[in-house]
Amino acid sequence: MKTTMDGVAAMPGPRHGAGGTLLRAAAAMGGGMLLWRLASIALFCGLWEVAGRVPISPAFPSFSATAIAFRDMMADGSLPAAFAVTLQPLVLGVVISAVLGVSAGVLMGLRRGVEWVAAPVFIVFQAAPMAALIPLVTFVYGIGLTAKVLAVCMLALPVIALNGYKAVRNVNPSLLAMARSFMASPWQRVVKIIIPDASPVIFAGLRLGVSAGFIGVILAELLITPTGIGDLITYHRSIANYAEMYASIASIILFSALTLAVLQRIETVFFRPEKQGA
Amino acid sequence: MLKLFRRSTRRAFLRNAALLGVAAAAALSVLPGDTRAAGKVRIAFGDIPSVESLHFLIALERAREKGLDLEVTYLKSEDIAAQAVVSGQADIGVGAPYALVQKVKAPIRFFYQMSTLSFYPIVNTEHYKSWKDLDGQEVAVHSRGSGTEAIMKLMAEKNGISFRNISYVPGSEVRAGALLQGTVKATIVDSTNRRILMEKAPGKFAVLPMEGVSATDEALYANANYLAANKEAVGTLVESLVQTWREINDDPAAVAGLRAKYKLLPDLPKDLEADIGPYFQELVAGKSLPQNGGGEAAVRDDFAFYTLSGQLQGDAKTLELTKFWDLGPLDAALAKAGRR
Repeated sequence: MKTTMDGVAAMPGPRHGAGGTLLRAAAAMGGGMLLWRLASIALFCGLWEVAGRVPISPAFPSFSATAIAFRDMMADGSLPAAFAVTLQPLVLGVVISAVLGVSAGVLMGLRRGVEWVAAPVFIVFQAAPMAALIPLVTFVYGIGLTAKVLAVCMLALPVIALNGYKAVRNVNPSLLAMARSFMASPWQRVVKIIIPDASPVIFAGLRLGVSAGFIGVILAELLITPTGIGDLITYHRSIANYAEMYASIASIILFSALTLAVLQRIETVFFRPEKQGA
Repeated sequence: MLKLFRRSTRRAFLRNAALLGVAAAAALSVLPGDTRAAGKVRIAFGDIPSVESLHFLIALERAREKGLDLEVTYLKSEDIAAQAVVSGQADIGVGAPYALVQKVKAPIRFFYQMSTLSFYPIVNTEHYKSWKDLDGQEVAVHSRGSGTEAIMKLMAEKNGISFRNISYVPGSEVRAGALLQGTVKATIVDSTNRRILMEKAPGKFAVLPMEGVSATDEALYANANYLAANKEAVGTLVESLVQTWREINDDPAAVAGLRAKYKLLPDLPKDLEADIGPYFQELVAGKSLPQNGGGEAAVRDDFAFYTLSGQLQGDAKTLELTKFWDLGPLDAALAKAGRR
């Protein structure tokens, strides 16, 4: 529940005018911002290098060793191949969760009956420690792709559904009143008022869902059968190639962060023109 | 008045915060200190205690009788146990992390070979009967770079065949289950699961012959500095191990009695209790419990096997024994107990 609330709270809706000024001010410093961000990354890498050289543990590689391992793994094709394998359950799971989650969320928001039946399930699922539940999936669905897709869905679906539900439930009442005044049909009310007004929060939910999906797929690859990035992590750990192991971990974190940044950009462009700072 | 009140609450807040900080610092300084109590030997074991580790538990009890203060931590995997030893949070680890010993920037040395690999290549007789039938077929092993994979590769090489694909299914019990379900037709399992398969479906599966494969499955290792500084404690431990291993080799049935004597695994279910006898019979019959705790010949076998499996880098013939093993504790114990 917490992430949903955070996700919802962190996104000021279109009607929060005061936030806009601040955001515009931040955007005006855009150039400087980028520099600061790069400096922050450089500082992090520097600290990593120092920690690796001290070393804080004999099994902890320095940043440069990890970067070299990353380059080698890109060159020999093992990293791209692993990503191709990992992305399969991830994309499948996220797409399924997006379709099911958004529909379930919107329905829960619109109909009390559906809310009573479905909301508690999603809330409980979101509170459940998934790492403990994923091994149970193997008892029913075995060790193949199905189990991994399910693991992704188990993490992504509740976030997406609950965000959709909150979004629809919190649609601007004056817009609904307006729709009623203009004698909109129930269908028009949903398609022309509710969904467009709820879409920023639904999209924020999708973004959180994708990040949960990343957690799900790596958990599945570490806990069910080692494939893709999970295989690289376990394999390189088992033969003590710690630089390669950290490079695999860092690469999936980087990939996840980049994916989320791209999604945020898409969200800003399509759903939040007021955040573009123009 | 209001200002005064504010100042006093702020002062109280600061005081409380400071107290909390001191308390937290005190708690943190106490925690790690406790685990480093003097004279305690901390052993990191990368598995849960089970029938398969009873002999080790018995040897530990023997060492305790001789006055050793042992603390065993059971961890999720051998990898984590190895990391605990590397970082100094444990003194002695259990496993065969040859790659780690070769690559990590810490002087980790093996000092006692507890068991050799006992795995059985097993096939569904509806599809395959011999090694030759596996040419161009798919086999399932534990994981990439594992001992099971190395055994299958070695046997393929010896029989002049090659597999179409090697799939990775962690856990002998999972592979045995897949074999029963029919989703896997050829794999390699441990002795417990081999027995289960033979009991559940007599005649349906066949164990393929395997000879000339000998390598460490589990060994004890520690930081070289620890071994040098704690000769006496390590000596006592190795003596207990040699004594127990020889007793079990002489009479595998004795394990059940020793378990009762030392009250080990008190919650073991009845059906698993019945497994104790057969399990150790098989272990002894398969010569998996070394009588002399390893030694130079065993290390040479390991070098050959683990270079093939990809754990060790370089040429097996040029690897230096002293960079991996400290035979001192073992030689001292064997000088007392005699060699077999």
